[in-house]
Amino acid sequence: MDGILPHCPKPLEETLDLALAIRTEALTKAYKTRTRRVDVVHKLNLEVEEGEIFGFLGPNGAGKTTTIKMLLSIIYPTSGKAEVLGKEIGNIAIHRKLSYLPEKPYYYEHMTGKEILNFYARLFNLRGDDKDKKIDELLEYVNLANAAGKPISQYSKGMQQRIGLAQSLLNDPQLLFLDEPTAGLDPIAHVEIRDLILRMREQGKTVFISSHELSDVERICDRVAILNTGRVKVQGKLDDLLRGGRVEITAEGVPQDLREKINHDGVIISQHGDRLIIDAADTIPTADFIDAIRAAKGTIVSIIPRRKRLEDLFVETIQSKDDVDGSNG
Amino acid sequence: MNAIFAIAGTTLGEAIRRKVLLIIMMVGLTMLILTPAISSLSIRGQHDVLIQMVLGILKITSAILAVTLTVYLLPNEVERRTIYTILSKPVLRSQFLIGKYLGSVGALAIMLVMMTVVLLVAFAIQQSAWSVSQLMPIIQPAFLLLFQMALLAAVAMFFSTFSTPVINFFLTGLVFIFGTLMNPIFETYVTRESSGFMSIVARVAHYVIPNFGSLDISSGATQGGQVMRGGDLVYMTQGMIMALVYIGILLILSVLVFDNKEV
Repeated sequence: MDGILPHCPKPLEETLDLALAIRTEALTKAYKTRTRRVDVVHKLNLEVEEGEIFGFLGPNGAGKTTTIKMLLSIIYPTSGKAEVLGKEIGNIAIHRKLSYLPEKPYYYEHMTGKEILNFYARLFNLRGDDKDKKIDELLEYVNLANAAGKPISQYSKGMQQRIGLAQSLLNDPQLLFLDEPTAGLDPIAHVEIRDLILRMREQGKTVFISSHELSDVERICDRVAILNTGRVKVQGKLDDLLRGGRVEITAEGVPQDLREKINHDGVIISQHGDRLIIDAADTIPTADFIDAIRAAKGTIVSIIPRRKRLEDLFVETIQSKDDVDGSNG
Repeated sequence: MNAIFAIAGTTLGEAIRRKVLLIIMMVGLTMLILTPAISSLSIRGQHDVLIQMVLGILKITSAILAVTLTVYLLPNEVERRTIYTILSKPVLRSQFLIGKYLGSVGALAIMLVMMTVVLLVAFAIQQSAWSVSQLMPIIQPAFLLLFQMALLAAVAMFFSTFSTPVINFFLTGLVFIFGTLMNPIFETYVTRESSGFMSIVARVAHYVIPNFGSLDISSGATQGGQVMRGGDLVYMTQGMIMALVYIGILLILSVLVFDNKEV
């Protein structure tokens, strides 16, 4: 768990020279009910570097969309600070350099795909041939050139999501916020959207993804944060977070008494004929097992270090009652 | 400005496709076409009754259209999340609001013009009145009706920044009724009684609530068979300026509320 140890970011003023696309400091959003105050997002400290794909994970109601809305100035923080592309949130000028694809977006259904892009292009004050050229390029990019003249109401979910991605690229953004970009899509559309996101990183864009699709996140994200009840529980590089985990040792000819010695907490032993498979947490000194098996004239067939799955980390984090990030407690 | 016109254009395009608005307009048009037949049964002068009735129908239909169109303007954007993609662009909330308002007024203008044209044709056939001067008693009130409806839409827009569509519907309806009856109320409580609590209330209401009655010249249009106050260009201009000032104030207030609203 070293990679996910808490860190207290430096004050905003001290880190302005860092290439950070997003930085929040104790960002909080609270709502008042009749009897109490509810912190939907509580003292959130986030750092997203430029050019990375950042996964923002958490169960429903964890505060993911609320955070995105605050960063986009759609709702306002109760307290704390946040910067997007080096400027404090609320500065409308930064909206020229960012884009947002909301979860299950709706577009004016009477419009065609091309009309939708034309509408959003006008919001960026794009005009004339440049605008038309950009729209045609994006329709090609998201593979919708043939459906450009169809009304949105006739688009499938995947097509609507692709037109959504196209509208989010009209301004050639430096930073994209994608809220559940692959939710509800069929496998083909799923892969298409995922590939488009990877292409965005190749183009140097920063992508901030909120998603429940952990397999996607594991494949494409550089770093992640896991949020629960409005608090960051885990934040770090995916490689660090998933490093280690378990080791699988396969051996043959292991005497019965040795098997009993190996069998303790954190070790799962399974027998397949003469073959013994030992699945142990990497915190357990497995080198001792190997030495003991060899000393007992057993044969080591394989030793495979297994990377932890993001799903395991997610479940472990959400089920853990500890507040990992002390600064967020 | 490009953003405002883009939003206005989209709002207009969507509004004229809304089935509920088309149904209201069709009902209004049907009544407008049937009115000449009904008015022929009247024992009063048929001409006056016909004009009063058709202008009344036009006003009620337009008011229902204006309120129905505007009360859902902002809530629909939030519910369908279209507002999120728009506000994530370099678009100020004031631009969004003004664009939505202009789009709805544009849609209202189109509907009002369509109804007025149908009305004029029906009236001309019924009365064999084809000259502009004969049709003026309808054209002038209809023109001022557009300002009335634009003002009513601004009232509904203001309420929609902080209330639900149902509450907005009733609030806007109340303002419209009081605003339409403003002149007789003011006359009763201020002109006749210069002091007293009701007089103060009436004076305050006179300044706060837009006077829709000042934009209604339908009664003047028929008295004596010729235009009375409605023919007075100054009176009409004053009414239009009053409407524009109120619209400006209401939009500024709407922007102030909407700027701080969490959507």
